[in-house]
Amino acid sequence: MKNILCNFIQKFRQKTITLLPGIWFLDPPKDVSLDGYRIDNVIQYTDLVITIYFSIVVLLMLYFILKYRHRPGHKAVYEKGESKKHIGFTVCMGMLVFLSIDVVIEGMSFRDLKEAFWNFPKGDNVVKVEVMPQQFAWNFRYTGTDGEFGTEDDLIPAQNQMHIPVNTPVVIQIAPLDVIHSFFIPNFRVKVDATPGMVNTMWFQATETGEFEIACAELCGNSHYRMKGILTVESQEDYNNWLNTLEEEGPEDEWEDDDDEGVPSRWGWAWKESE
Amino acid sequence: MSNSHEQSFWSKYIFSLDHKVIGKQFLWLGIFFLLFGGFQAMLIRWSLSNNMEPLPWWLLGDFLYQSSPVGAGIIGPDAYNQLFTMHGTIMIFWAITPILIGAFGNFCIPLQIGAPDMVFPKLNMISFWTMFLASVVLLFSYLLPEGTAAGGWTSYPPLSTPVGGIPGQGQTMWTLALTLAGTSTLMGAINYITTIVRLRAPGMDYFKMPLTTWGLFLTSILNALFVPIIAAGLIILLLDNIAGTQFLVAGSKATIPGGDPLLYQHVFWIFGHPEVYILILPAWGIVSDLLSVFARKPAFGYKVTAICMCTITALSGVVWGHHMYTTGMSPLLGKTFMFLTLLISIPSSIFFLNWLGTLWKGALKFDVPMLFAMSVMWVFGLGGLTGLYNATITSDIYLHDTYFVVGHFHYTMAASVLFGGFAAIYFWFPKMFGRDLDPTMGKIHFWGSFIPLNLVFFNMMVMGYAGHHRRIFDPSEFEFLKPVLGLNDFMTTSAFILGAVQVLFAFNFVWSLVKGKLAEKNPWGAATLEWTVDHPIPHGNFSATPQVVNGPHEYSHPSLKDKDWLAQSEPLPS
Repeated sequence: MKNILCNFIQKFRQKTITLLPGIWFLDPPKDVSLDGYRIDNVIQYTDLVITIYFSIVVLLMLYFILKYRHRPGHKAVYEKGESKKHIGFTVCMGMLVFLSIDVVIEGMSFRDLKEAFWNFPKGDNVVKVEVMPQQFAWNFRYTGTDGEFGTEDDLIPAQNQMHIPVNTPVVIQIAPLDVIHSFFIPNFRVKVDATPGMVNTMWFQATETGEFEIACAELCGNSHYRMKGILTVESQEDYNNWLNTLEEEGPEDEWEDDDDEGVPSRWGWAWKESE
Repeated sequence: MSNSHEQSFWSKYIFSLDHKVIGKQFLWLGIFFLLFGGFQAMLIRWSLSNNMEPLPWWLLGDFLYQSSPVGAGIIGPDAYNQLFTMHGTIMIFWAITPILIGAFGNFCIPLQIGAPDMVFPKLNMISFWTMFLASVVLLFSYLLPEGTAAGGWTSYPPLSTPVGGIPGQGQTMWTLALTLAGTSTLMGAINYITTIVRLRAPGMDYFKMPLTTWGLFLTSILNALFVPIIAAGLIILLLDNIAGTQFLVAGSKATIPGGDPLLYQHVFWIFGHPEVYILILPAWGIVSDLLSVFARKPAFGYKVTAICMCTITALSGVVWGHHMYTTGMSPLLGKTFMFLTLLISIPSSIFFLNWLGTLWKGALKFDVPMLFAMSVMWVFGLGGLTGLYNATITSDIYLHDTYFVVGHFHYTMAASVLFGGFAAIYFWFPKMFGRDLDPTMGKIHFWGSFIPLNLVFFNMMVMGYAGHHRRIFDPSEFEFLKPVLGLNDFMTTSAFILGAVQVLFAFNFVWSLVKGKLAEKNPWGAATLEWTVDHPIPHGNFSATPQVVNGPHEYSHPSLKDKDWLAQSEPLPS
């Protein structure tokens, strides 16, 4: 039942979307991800319904302002609105609002979470990346040939540089060095917090090649505003070449003891399998 | 009943036990901080659209930030972080809370329920002076060499602890000031609850109380339940800052294992979400009453509105998780919080319809309080509906921590609550001070606030939808934000108009105190008990305890002849 409703809404939306340019007159950054459209769909459905409800409210208010304004010869009607009819009407309208907006977006949201955002990809082709934000940069870590993190052949690109292949699922695990950060790629509609003491997981998949910006969405100090990473989406071939170059260059930091100032080179953790 | 007596200046105006005087003290404190926090908003807007340019003279550029490390009179990133931190803190805890809860809670509750005073007058006085002390601590934090707190109004640790890298003791002062302010709020809440439960005049049933009192009652219950929780969170944050503990620090910066930054987020939002309702419930009550007064008609579905407000109060305590969808919350918990949050839209829609029902078939008088009350319907309608995006997990993944959230909560907390507060000030000013606020200046203030406010706050949501994340000193750092920058300049201009008009309000307030038209006893023809007492209201309020016979909104009763309202203590003419 819920799925039928969701599908109907999706079809309805695809037909109306060209008519409704959106109440937010600036477009979000171009969606280049496999599942970003799901988030746009929920937002656009909500746009549509709240525009209808808010318009009804405003039109009613304008009508009342004109029709019932105080003027000589016009008297208010002594109406308490506590009869069964009136209470029944308001309660039914409240339920109607709930059913037409809340239940629908809840259904869409739960379906999308189940099918996409919380449905972590499995298999050998999945690209795994560990992310460690710090004040005020992004550190990334790739497994190297052994497929394990926290080993000597881990690949560590230059700070703020993340590369992924196109059309391949990417799973990141993220934990910060110092304070809370939040990994936000507007073009992919995804965001996940990095909280000290815990490892968070998220996945996404690119559908186009190009360079996209990674922003820190959680206030992390005075240079929070310029904590920026570059996500390069490239073909599988280019990606493999990039990994090979990293391998030849070797890790920037040698296996030294962790010092207090810099980023410890051993920061990688054993990959946590998602449940 | 009346206990008017000779009092010295100090006991009458400074350490007064009279709820009306304490209410006015809170009002002055609130208006001072409203202008102060508003001025900080102007500085934020200047910095956003004129990044790294010296402040102009009309933003006090010759005095502020003279020793700024990036150049005299220029707001740098550190100063910018301090500005938005303190703008949020001050507007929520030092402007809206004192005006709506401190001032109108104190002034209205005893008068509206027919009580001689608060049940604990001394506690009431201590509550104000604790708030005053909190204000002093807060203002002193600006004098620290490294400046005041800069961790955002939420002050998430570990950023707000010593490992966060923010220099100085601003955060400690902030935490201390907020703990004191919470203590003051708690004292007020206990006083309000006890007064409403114990001191209602004979015949004043719970379902005969004005909705303003209902709103303040529910607010006080939320305050009494949830302020202690944030106090606990603030105290462990304070210990982390001054005693070397690490309750809220984890990861590689922690030297003691076992801390948890998420603990603070839970504690903060268990309080923080009800706080939204703490602020808006009095505004809802005030608007419900005022719509009825100026539509000359009983509030539509009065009991249903009161019950809806109770339902929302109950639900507000179990939805805090929707602030934390991106923290890696377990799916089951996330879905539960989403469902509970969306449930709130049922009672909200019902009482919003009741507001429309009050206007229906009324005789609407567009005095300044009514203009502000009706504008609350507009801004709260927008603010409430846009909450749906943030309640939904998937859309919140994208919109969380963007300007969309900023726009949404400015509509609900700033616009709705502030306009509710302005409606209250224009409405009760004649009863508080015996003079009318000038209506012409009032109408300029209304239109000058309503239009620019929408231009600023709606565009915040537009920017957020375009991906603009929050608390960004210089948005031009990011390529994807380039299309938004033009809008930023437009919003800044609107915000300056909004700010300038508030100066007119402050002028009107002071001017009318001295030169305003002397007020009649009941200028609006309102039915609630506070309008049955003469001005100046004596210490002890009522010369004889009123006998309540009617509901709070008896307007346009068909058997009334020479006037169209019936005071709550006035029997229907036979």
